[in-house]
Amino acid sequence: MLRGSVGAIELRDVRRLFRATTGTLRRHTKEIVALDGLSFEVGEGELFGILGPNGAGKTTTIKVLTTLLIPTSGTASVLGLDVVRDAKEVRRKIGFVFGGERGLYYRLSGRDNLRYFAELYAVPPREIPSRVEELLDLVDLRARGDERVEGYSRGMKQRLHLARTLLHRPRVLFLDEPTIGLDPIGARELRRIVRQLHEDGATIVLTTHYLFEADELCDRIAVIDKGRTVALGTPEDLKSNVSDLSVVELEVFGVDATTVDRLRALDFVDSIVVEQRELRQVLRIQTRIAERAVAPLIAAVAAGQVGRVAVRAATLEDAYVRLVGRVE
Amino acid sequence: MTAALRLAAQSAWVDFQEVAVSGFLLFAAVWQPFFIGVTTMYMLRHRADFDPMYVIVGTALSGIWSTLLFAGSGAIGHERWMGTLELLAASPASFFVVIGGKLAGTTIFSLVSLVLAYGIGAVLFGYPMTIAEPGWFALSLLFAVVALWATGMFFAPLAILWRAVGRFLLGLEYPIFALSGFLFPVLLLPGWVLPISNVLPSYWAAVAMHGAASGDLDLGGVLRAWFFLLVTGGVLLLIASRLFDEVLTRARRAGTLALS
Repeated sequence: MLRGSVGAIELRDVRRLFRATTGTLRRHTKEIVALDGLSFEVGEGELFGILGPNGAGKTTTIKVLTTLLIPTSGTASVLGLDVVRDAKEVRRKIGFVFGGERGLYYRLSGRDNLRYFAELYAVPPREIPSRVEELLDLVDLRARGDERVEGYSRGMKQRLHLARTLLHRPRVLFLDEPTIGLDPIGARELRRIVRQLHEDGATIVLTTHYLFEADELCDRIAVIDKGRTVALGTPEDLKSNVSDLSVVELEVFGVDATTVDRLRALDFVDSIVVEQRELRQVLRIQTRIAERAVAPLIAAVAAGQVGRVAVRAATLEDAYVRLVGRVE
Repeated sequence: MTAALRLAAQSAWVDFQEVAVSGFLLFAAVWQPFFIGVTTMYMLRHRADFDPMYVIVGTALSGIWSTLLFAGSGAIGHERWMGTLELLAASPASFFVVIGGKLAGTTIFSLVSLVLAYGIGAVLFGYPMTIAEPGWFALSLLFAVVALWATGMFFAPLAILWRAVGRFLLGLEYPIFALSGFLFPVLLLPGWVLPISNVLPSYWAAVAMHGAASGDLDLGGVLRAWFFLLVTGGVLLLIASRLFDEVLTRARRAGTLALS
């Protein structure tokens, strides 16, 4: 269900191909399908999440919507404006943040960076000083605003990026993995700002690898894989896809791939994710029979290899694993 | 128009702060012309027809030329390296105005070569530095700087549109230096190179500045040099404006605005 009545973003059957070259002496070109007929709509004022494994097409989707990439076919529009035909008009109304530290002028101060980007977005000259200070306050960088960006921590740079993208009061915001690489406190602070922007009425499209983040922030989520939408709905909708499942977490030591395959072949096992934690592994086993699965699972693993055992309800992450069939 | 000028001025200021601490451009604007100026002074100063002002002007032009060649051919690539190219491309601002402003910042910075060259002649070698036609010289310098900035603007999209051309551009530093007659008259070269020189803004910059400094050109000669200087620079700028649009469209099609 869309939050607003008006569609802020619309993708219709968008395909995007890239050419990749391999070889040194004999070069070969092959086409890679990044988006394969992707379609979805985002309502005005909605906080919309895009989830998917690496290479699923999340960043390509954002780049198409921010006019940085031209779709190979299909149409995409933001606030009713076509991202190819009306690119210049779209740019006035959107803001975007890509994860990572680059994209700032390191030898300038944070304040000077914001002043310059305000010029790029044609913020009226008289408004620039007050708008810059207001945003430095929002992202808690006022006290460090005169320092060169090269001395900023990753979290500070990311917050500055967020301030940078708000200078011209965009109606639609695209945040591509904005908390990637941030420490927990920095990430929490950034999420607080995103939530505040959402409450203020901004339409936000957020891509993230952190499922709890999507669960906490997003009104609706599209799970995409191989350039296609594989699920779309509220976090609760997606979780309901795994309401029949429970997750048994087995902490094990030195379990090999053959054993994991043997567990996977058990008829009550829906899927298994193996997480390596130093010398231990944690097997997350999705099953429909909950506690009754524990004994046969332990029996299938060699005695002495099992440590902690826990059974819990399925989460959004489990729904995601079921949808895309793997984790990174 | 005012907004575009503001943006260009801001872009120039941002770039000036970046290039002023760039070791590579300091080499192009300061150390290389210093070496060229000093060695040329030593080579020529015992000749009967030696004119120290000729060396000073030539040294300054070589510094301005090298700085703008390097900065121009790397202007867009530098933004891509910094991760700011996507931000510039996805902003509503004119990419041409932004890069134009930034190269203007580099151009202003490159004038340090002129100050340095003057210092070599007046302070290091102690020659009296007199300009025969100061007014003409000032205008020649202004037009030269504008035309060389236009040359840098022409190189900026070329280096991105065709990477092989981009690598080749850096190799143009000395050939253009020689073909423009910065420090040695083009007449010393074979006659067939003169038509090539005639289409280079840098050649007409050298003709105008050398002529105004020495007083060897009459008004007609200076006006002719200014005319060709502005026409050749203008043509390059016109081509550049088309190429800038092409750069962005191609990059949006190919997905090459970012490094990864």
